[in-house]
Amino acid sequence: MTGLSKSYGHGAIFSGVSFEVDRGATLGLFGQSGSGKSTLGRCVMRLERPTTGTVTMLGADLFRLGPKKLRSLRPSFQMVFQHPEVSLNPRRTLAESVAELLMVHRGLSLDGALDELQPLIARVGLRDEHLDRYPHQLSGGEVQRAILARIFSVRPRLIVADEPTSMLDVSVQAQVLRLMQELQRETGVSYVFISHDPDVMRIMCDTILWFDGGAGTMYERDGFVDRMEDVYASVAREHRGVGQTG
Amino acid sequence: MTLLDVQSLNVHFPTRQGAVHASRDISFRLEAGEVLGLVGETGSGKSVIGQAIIRLLPSGTRIAGRIIFSGQDLTALSESAIHALRGSSISLIPQNPSGALNPVMASGRQIAEFFESQGRSRTAARVRARELLAAVGLVPVDRIEREYPHQLSGGMRQRLATSIALGGDPGLIIADEPTKGLDYRARETTARLLREIHTTGQAALLLITHDLDLAERICDRIAVLYAGEIVEIGTAAQVFSAPRHPYTRALIRAIPKNGLAPLPGQSPSLTALPKGCAFADRCSCGTDRCGLEHPLLTQEGPDGGVRCHHPFSA
Repeated sequence: MTGLSKSYGHGAIFSGVSFEVDRGATLGLFGQSGSGKSTLGRCVMRLERPTTGTVTMLGADLFRLGPKKLRSLRPSFQMVFQHPEVSLNPRRTLAESVAELLMVHRGLSLDGALDELQPLIARVGLRDEHLDRYPHQLSGGEVQRAILARIFSVRPRLIVADEPTSMLDVSVQAQVLRLMQELQRETGVSYVFISHDPDVMRIMCDTILWFDGGAGTMYERDGFVDRMEDVYASVAREHRGVGQTG
Repeated sequence: MTLLDVQSLNVHFPTRQGAVHASRDISFRLEAGEVLGLVGETGSGKSVIGQAIIRLLPSGTRIAGRIIFSGQDLTALSESAIHALRGSSISLIPQNPSGALNPVMASGRQIAEFFESQGRSRTAARVRARELLAAVGLVPVDRIEREYPHQLSGGMRQRLATSIALGGDPGLIIADEPTKGLDYRARETTARLLREIHTTGQAALLLITHDLDLAERICDRIAVLYAGEIVEIGTAAQVFSAPRHPYTRALIRAIPKNGLAPLPGQSPSLTALPKGCAFADRCSCGTDRCGLEHPLLTQEGPDGGVRCHHPFSA
């Protein structure tokens, strides 16, 4: 990603953002609500067109690819969304949703795709009994597992995960994040991980881009932790004297 | 002095899948000025307890048990009597401040409106509203009182909603998931704000949350809920440093800063609860007895207890 900017209407959300994500590495996008981290994630996925700048995926400029080239590259970059409950087609069974990418990109039948996906479905912790259910019959954690199976079926090279566990319970969050780490070790996939939880950032990411207007600031883990301390200290200063007059 | 005494509270919601037993035999006491955390995950029944106290549950809900607040049983009060308590004796800090605030009313008016409804003059109500804005750190008051909710940050909206909850000088404040969905800065602001309420006011606080860090920071005591039941209750220091229930221990270890240790499985459905311990199928120290016999909450000390056949030693 080089010199990426995005403006809506009157103002720039971010400008001049550049970063690289290496194979098997995780880059975090961190910032307050409304800071533009999700928009940037969507630009990386070519779901949104940046105002300026280029996104280069495996050597190809994403926004200059013709439809055919783009289609052949599509399996390589995938996204996990924040709200599992609306991420899957509500009228399809889990089996249909999990198998869909293999059916589209490799022309397999549903049964053929499911046969091939057996090990992956077991790997993400889903059981056969889950496969006939519809999304509303599953918990948020089960849906996120199904989405991981769906995405990993086409051997992605980069996954943008936009707050993938912020709607999940603490114990389920730990399951899903640990699963994502294991899948990364096994497949060498890279992540762009978006979150506003500093502890999750520190655990999941090798480097962290902190969105604070303009181009953002890049941190290694230690520098990130130091800056977080500064934020907490500044909130504490704002609070001095609160409650004295009421 | 005991401000709130919840005795054997049971709440059932009728659904097409059968009755959901959302709160099961909940008993706890809250002293004046104390902060008690009701901590649990989705479906643990924690929010239902808060809504049962302030009587905001949907009609058709079956409530059994007693909720004694300042000597009177809230479950037996008329609708008009409970309405009079809301906002003045018991108030609620809502989960989603943006949704709870009126988007077309300036901050100052949102607070003053409450006092006017209590019969104060427009001028007196405004004076009190300005005091409250300053009290929650929404300064400069001259500017903030004229601003609308969309002009405030998430943390500032939470402060505004909190100032409204403080307005009636209530004896009990119920904060229902006050940090849910907030970013790190708004969350830190809210944590400090709740602690300020506690240290400067007389109000007792019932904090309902899935946010264990928040609970550890501001609570005197903690009740951990699982599948509609209290599985452990004790001082915050004890629960966090020496948890006795296997679920409490697993939950604490699953927090990112404590190592993100996954707890396998998920909570049971409240329409099909197991016969024995609700946590048995996820528990690493369960025995045959756990699957057969439902454990009772022990009484340890004045206000401690654990619901487990094989608790960790104290």
